[in-house]
Amino acid sequence: MSKKAFSILGIAVILISLVWIIMTPILFSGVQADTNTFAVHKGFQAPSFTLQTPDRQTLSLSDYEGQPVLIFFWASWCSVCKRTMPGLQSVYEEFAPEGFEILAINTSFQDSPTNAVSYFESQGFTYTMLLDQDGSLSRDYQLHAVPLSVLVGPEGEVVDVIIGSGMSEAYLRAKLTDIYRERD
Amino acid sequence: MFPMINIGPLSIQAAGFILIASLFIGLWTTTYFSKNLGTNGDMIENSILLGLIAGLISARVGFILQNPSALAGNPKAVFSLTPSMLNSSFGIFVGLLAAFIFAQKKHLPLWPSLDTLAPLFLFIFAGIHLSNYAIGNGYGLPTNLPWGIQLWNESRHPVNLYALVLLSIYFLGIVFHTKTFKTIGFLKSGTLFNSSLAAIGFITVITRAFIAEKILIGRFDLWQLLGFSMLLLGIALIYSRKYQYKNHISVFISLGSNQKPDKNLPEAISRLEDFSKIRGTSSVYKSKDVQYETGSSFFYNQLIEIGTRLSYHDLRLKLKNIEKNLGRKPDNKKTVPIDLDILTYDNDVFFNEGKQIPDPNLIKYKYIVIPLKELAPDFRHPASGISIEEIINQLKDDHKIQMLKEVENGFEA
Repeated sequence: MSKKAFSILGIAVILISLVWIIMTPILFSGVQADTNTFAVHKGFQAPSFTLQTPDRQTLSLSDYEGQPVLIFFWASWCSVCKRTMPGLQSVYEEFAPEGFEILAINTSFQDSPTNAVSYFESQGFTYTMLLDQDGSLSRDYQLHAVPLSVLVGPEGEVVDVIIGSGMSEAYLRAKLTDIYRERD
Repeated sequence: MFPMINIGPLSIQAAGFILIASLFIGLWTTTYFSKNLGTNGDMIENSILLGLIAGLISARVGFILQNPSALAGNPKAVFSLTPSMLNSSFGIFVGLLAAFIFAQKKHLPLWPSLDTLAPLFLFIFAGIHLSNYAIGNGYGLPTNLPWGIQLWNESRHPVNLYALVLLSIYFLGIVFHTKTFKTIGFLKSGTLFNSSLAAIGFITVITRAFIAEKILIGRFDLWQLLGFSMLLLGIALIYSRKYQYKNHISVFISLGSNQKPDKNLPEAISRLEDFSKIRGTSSVYKSKDVQYETGSSFFYNQLIEIGTRLSYHDLRLKLKNIEKNLGRKPDNKKTVPIDLDILTYDNDVFFNEGKQIPDPNLIKYKYIVIPLKELAPDFRHPASGISIEEIINQLKDDHKIQMLKEVENGFEA
């Protein structure tokens, strides 16, 4: 390519980019307008739900307004879930006095609730267990695999979504420290 | 969106799988490319590996430094294999720095090595967009366009697909231009890397406009501004390297003759002097004809370094002219009054008019390497960065060559 041809091409590309950058705020506004939409993704509002505990007490996500909540989907046949849950317990004990709650949602539509309850009780977990009997919540939360962890901030906004073992004790502690630091 | 990939009974997280796959495909292409270019593939791979390890470790260290409370209950968690506890920007920064320092220590030539890495960077860029598409990150603004995708409760611009389409167009151009990674495709080293840098910058500027979650600096998106800087840098580097010639480019030329060498070698040099500066001349060396075993006849070889402003193409024409004027017949391989070969052209690595530069013979034959050591003891191979000593150690040519002294009217052993 000759020097002249390259110069013309280069300047043209630079000018197009510059005009595009200047036009972006005018043509494509609506930045961060998603905070009122419900979706299981960072930045959106966590979809609301109402479920029952094994002893038939009814709880809703909205009961925990103003508090950070970890929604943790699990099954008793899932070994990764069982490896993760004791770690959650120790963070729970640490942060529960400050209002933190864990809703451990058993995917009962593909699990045996009896097995799930006996496992949960045998481990001495003190956070809240809920049953997703018909799988409707799992559908709403686009559950592709367990464990699925959805960390919800005090304003009801999704802070983090992790599939698999990533919601470890250390990671959850770091995230909660962040949330409480921002609030103070 | 497809956050999980199911292969038989196995469920794999799509994002991580795609990123690792793009890294492997990119590495494989870079290794293949490096073999064809003659760059130091092993060292380039080693520096990438070192960069990856340093990057991963520092990404974890960065996370811990930022969130010291993470280890409060269980200090062993610092070694846990979860990908969530990583500070990726710190990791990328340290990883690149480590790879760069290692490459410097190993004398890897900057621009040819970066050219070799261009396909890797393009594959990683594609991998990031594809994995974001898989998990619904970097989602677009709502749109009514027919190709909008259903994501997070709206029909949205498929921003990551826009980027992949634009990247594919550029990538096809590169595949065509490099003859499917057989050559570098440009006469100036660094052009391939710099144009890829500009292309990635341009694609970022264009596609970030459609992103819903912008990071604003004033009115403008941070990533658009970064993309624009990459575009400017890429174009400026191509322009300054390709079109702003330094005063004189250094070129090593090998001279050979088996007909009246005592007359033809000095004559060729004096004709070269008509259009270039002679920067250095080696002694004359005598050896058996190694390329076309012509029996008893001996070859006389000499190496010179010239400074020239001529383009590679023009320089080759001038050399052909000198060969012709001194009586060389192109189809006669046995009787060679004078043979002039360009060994290196500046520090560039390219393939042009059927010739590879640096000349592959540069690391094959004693009659070139030995005079080169005499002429330029600090020489390093422009493509691989290996020193003249290493080139000599790796030679497989066991022909004898003999340094000759110049006396009046001829040479003498």
